[in-house]
Parts: sequence; C-alpha cells; structure tokens
Amino acid sequence: MPSAIEIDHLTKQFRGVLAVNDLSFEVAAGRVTGFLGPNGSGKTTTLRMLLGLVEITGGSATFGGRKYVQIDKPIQHVGAVLEATSFHPSRRAEDHLKMVAVGAGIPVSRVAETLDLVGLSDVARRRVGKFSLGMRQRLQLATALLGDPEILILDEPANGLDPQGIQWLRTFIRHQASTGRSVLVSSHLLSEMEETVDDVVIVSQGRLVLQTTLADLSTRAGTTTGMRIRSPEIARFTGLLTASSIAFRTIAPDTIVIDGATPEWLGPVLAQHQIVVYEVIHEKGSLEDVFLNLTRGFEASLPGGGHAPGSGPMGGAPTAAPAAAPPAAPGPFPGGPS
Amino acid sequence: MINVIRSEWIKLRTTAVPWVLTGIALVINGLLILVIFLRHDQLTGGDSIPHTTQQLNNLVGSGFQGYLLALLLGVLCITTEFRHKTVTTAFLVTPQRPVFVVGKMILAAIAGAVLAVIMLVATMIGGGLTLVARGGSFSAMLHQLPSVAPGMILVFALFAILGVGIGSLLTNQVAAIIVVLGWFILLEGILVSLVTSAEKWVPTGAALAASNLTRGQGGGNNGGEVFHLFNQWQGTLLMLGYGILFAAIGSYFLTRRDIT
Repeated sequence: MPSAIEIDHLTKQFRGVLAVNDLSFEVAAGRVTGFLGPNGSGKTTTLRMLLGLVEITGGSATFGGRKYVQIDKPIQHVGAVLEATSFHPSRRAEDHLKMVAVGAGIPVSRVAETLDLVGLSDVARRRVGKFSLGMRQRLQLATALLGDPEILILDEPANGLDPQGIQWLRTFIRHQASTGRSVLVSSHLLSEMEETVDDVVIVSQGRLVLQTTLADLSTRAGTTTGMRIRSPEIARFTGLLTASSIAFRTIAPDTIVIDGATPEWLGPVLAQHQIVVYEVIHEKGSLEDVFLNLTRGFEASLPGGGHAPGSGPMGGAPTAAPAAAPPAAPGPFPGGPS
Repeated sequence: MINVIRSEWIKLRTTAVPWVLTGIALVINGLLILVIFLRHDQLTGGDSIPHTTQQLNNLVGSGFQGYLLALLLGVLCITTEFRHKTVTTAFLVTPQRPVFVVGKMILAAIAGAVLAVIMLVATMIGGGLTLVARGGSFSAMLHQLPSVAPGMILVFALFAILGVGIGSLLTNQVAAIIVVLGWFILLEGILVSLVTSAEKWVPTGAALAASNLTRGQGGGNNGGEVFHLFNQWQGTLLMLGYGILFAAIGSYFLTRRDIT
C-alpha cells in the first residue's frame, strides 16, 4: 500500500527534553490512521514537525517523500487542524477563510463551499471571538478543507466538542476517507476514535509503542479477559491464590480480579473450596484497556520512567511487560484442603 | 508573492488596527493644523496668515509626525500574528518564512504610503479651508504640495517597513511597541543631544533626509537652519537598510523558531 506520510527516525529535543524519540511509522494512503497516546507523549510535536512548524532535531517527516516546505501551494495538498485558538478574535469567519484562500491561490468561491460543508454558513459574517469552541473547531476544519487536500492532519479535533459534535466529527472523518483522502487524526482517547480509524499508531513518551490495524487491536482486546470476584471470604481465597502463586489484583477490600482467568477455571475452584461469593463477573477487555495497558506497560518498561502499573482508575497491567498479550490462564488449583 | 500580499491586505483590513490608527492620525493632524494657525497668530499678532513658502510647506506637511503611526502599523501587522497565534495558519499557507516577512513589508509600505496620502488629503481639505476662510490663498498652498507630498509618502512607507522589520525580530507585541515608542520618543532624542554627529545616522535623521524637507524634528518653523543630514538618496537607502537589516535578522531567527 502506498504511503501518504512517512515518519522516519524522527527526533525532537526541546532544551534538554526529548519530546519525540526516534519515532518511525507510516500512514497508508486512503485510510484513517489514529495517532494515539497519552497527553504529553509527543503527538502534537510530531505533527508540527511534519508540517514544518517545529524544527526537526533528527530524522525526517515527509509526504510521499517531500517535506512540507518543499510542496508547492502546500494547503492544496495537506489540510491541517491544529488548535482551536489560532484566530484573530475580531476577524469574521468568512474573512479568515478568504485570507487563507487568497494567500494560497485558491478560488474565493471555495470559502462559501467549505463553510457550508462544516455547517457554519449561518455565522459566516460573525466575528470568531464570539464563536464557541465547537464552532472554532469547525472553522479550523473548514480552513483545512479549503484547498481540497488529499491528506488531512487533525490534532485532537474532538477536544472541546460535545457528544453531538464528536458524532458529527466521526461522520465527517469517515466521509473524508470515503472520498479517498488519507487522514491522520490524533487523540489521547482511543474510545473517541475507535469507530473512526482503520489503523492505529500508539505512542508514549515520544516513542512508538505499536503500529497496527484497529482490527488487530480489537482481537487483542477480545482476548484480554479476567474474572472479578466479590466475596465475604476474600482473605481466605486470596490466601489460597497466593499459596498457589496465582497473581491477582485487589480493586476493593472485598473484590479482586484474576487476569487471564476463565469461568471454566474459576467455577470448579470456588466449588472445591466452598467459597461464598456475592458477585462474579467475566471481564472482557475494552479497546481502551488495551490502549491504556499498552502505554502504561510501555512506560513502565522504560528505564526509570512511567507510572506504576495499575495506578489508574481502570486498573492496569499487573506486570511490567506490555499487557496486550494476556497472561496465561492460571493452571489447575493444586491440592488444597478437601 | 502577489497572493501573499493580497492575503496580507485582507488580514490588515479585517482587523481594527489600520482604521484606529488612521483615526488617530486624522485627529492629531487636525490638532496640528490648529496649532499652526494659533501659533502663527501669536507670532504675527493675528494680522497675517501663513504665506511664505516655508510656512505653507509646514502647513501642507503638518501630518509629517504621523510617521510614528506608520511605524506602529508595521509593528502591529506582524506582532498581531504572534499575539493571536494566527502565525500558525500563516506558516501553513506560506512555509517559507522570509517570504511571509517580505510580503508584510511590501504591504506595510503600501499601507504606510496610503496613510500619508490620507493625511495629506485631510490637510489640504482642513488646512486649506481654514486658510481660505482667513483670506489666504489655496492655490499657493496647493503649489507646495508637490514639494512636500513625495517625501512624506516615502518616509511613511520607509517607517512602515522598519516597523515590520522590528516586529519580525521582536515578536512580542507589547515589548515591540514599548521599544519603538521608547526609542523614537525618548532615547533617540537623548542620543542625538549627547552625540550630535549621530543625528544623520539615526532613523529619524535618515528619514528626514529622505523626506527632503528642510524642517526640524519638532515640525516647527525653523526653516533655513542647516542640517547635517545625508542627501535624499542616502537617507532613503539608510532607512531602507535599517528595515531590511532588522527583517533579515528577524527572518533568520523566525526560520529557526518552533511554532508551538
């Protein structure tokens, strides 16, 4: 598959801080690629280097082999949405687009067309200072679409949008892809993008964690399972688990999760030891869990870096290893009192 | 480049800056005309009106000090981009940053020249009406226009170019305004009074030479005084040189600057 964007050993050093560290990935033409990672993982810096706004320390970032500055009339090839704040507050929406269109040699007739496309025709003569965040995002999208580019780069476009706005954005992105455009869209929430993207590039602390398809990530999510048990006899049960070297996570005083366990394994064990349970839940991992586990596991595996696993509200990987590969199901419960 | 300049024109006219500056310029110009007539009355006991070549020159060029507003126009038209972060969009449209600076300089030069023309027209109307109302000759005043207008228009354009140059180097709007006003209102005068030989080298001296008007800096009535200034061409080139020097240094740093 031909690539639309190539990031090759890209590195950015900001006054001693390594924001992007030897990052390499490709964005396939004609697909929607989600660029995912926690806040501060170097996504925005990567996109800004790609667009020639931030100087590259090492490596390269190109569109079909060409740097952004080497592209003639670049916004007719690459449309970018970076942040919803870069407008002059007293300029009217229409004038903002006109100024960009004229500067890029795009017919002014496109202004009305793109305003219509993002649903801002009614407020075309309003000053941008009076716009809501959602309206600014739409105006940014209109700016990006002015030149009818074949590549779209969207940096956290869902930020500040209400649920309806996010739904609109998803439809919008899918529509862009259906007309053959390549889209690279960043987000710190996979859930925001999981109905939208074809491929995912996951980064953490400026480094690549994983590049794969959404389908593959979903498969991983489906196989990440565990059993959650709430019991008044939790201390006796965990004692048995510890004696048998079976890992578990305590998520409440009376509740634990055994990652990788199955109902078929757990049922007989509980019956054998006659443990009273109030609640047993077969947990299936969501895409968000996989994403969080991947990034957390990755951070923890870095020397001296990262949060402690399992520190977040969702719980985390029980081990330092990337958790997408589920731990092997616990073996048969050995011995025990009969 | 034509596209860049046209885009800059849309940027300029769709903000309040040029209109507010023009308004200020006209108000100040009106006051200066008033001052010229009042002062003339004081000096002559009210029995005469400006009629000598020098007096009429001063009247026609009463808006000359407005070059400071042309300078501010230049400073504002570039620093506004940084203040409101619109520079991100500007660099996406025009990734070659020196082209962006040059586009602004050309547009600012045109806008500065237009500001001079507006002030000259206002002076011819306001000053002319006052003159005629007091029995003076408008045709005599009109006769002085060709000797004042080209120099004034040139100086306004040069100052606007200098403003863009300074703004490209000092992108913080507040800092840039403080620096230019501090220099042109205060420091330059102090420097010249301490080192008289510096007068022809400082921007205002160069601009005065470029204007080819035999006038003092105060806009007053000291024709005939010998100025140790460069000639018109030298003054123009020196002034242009300052603008280009600042813009070149500004562009150098701008090209390496991370827009985050």
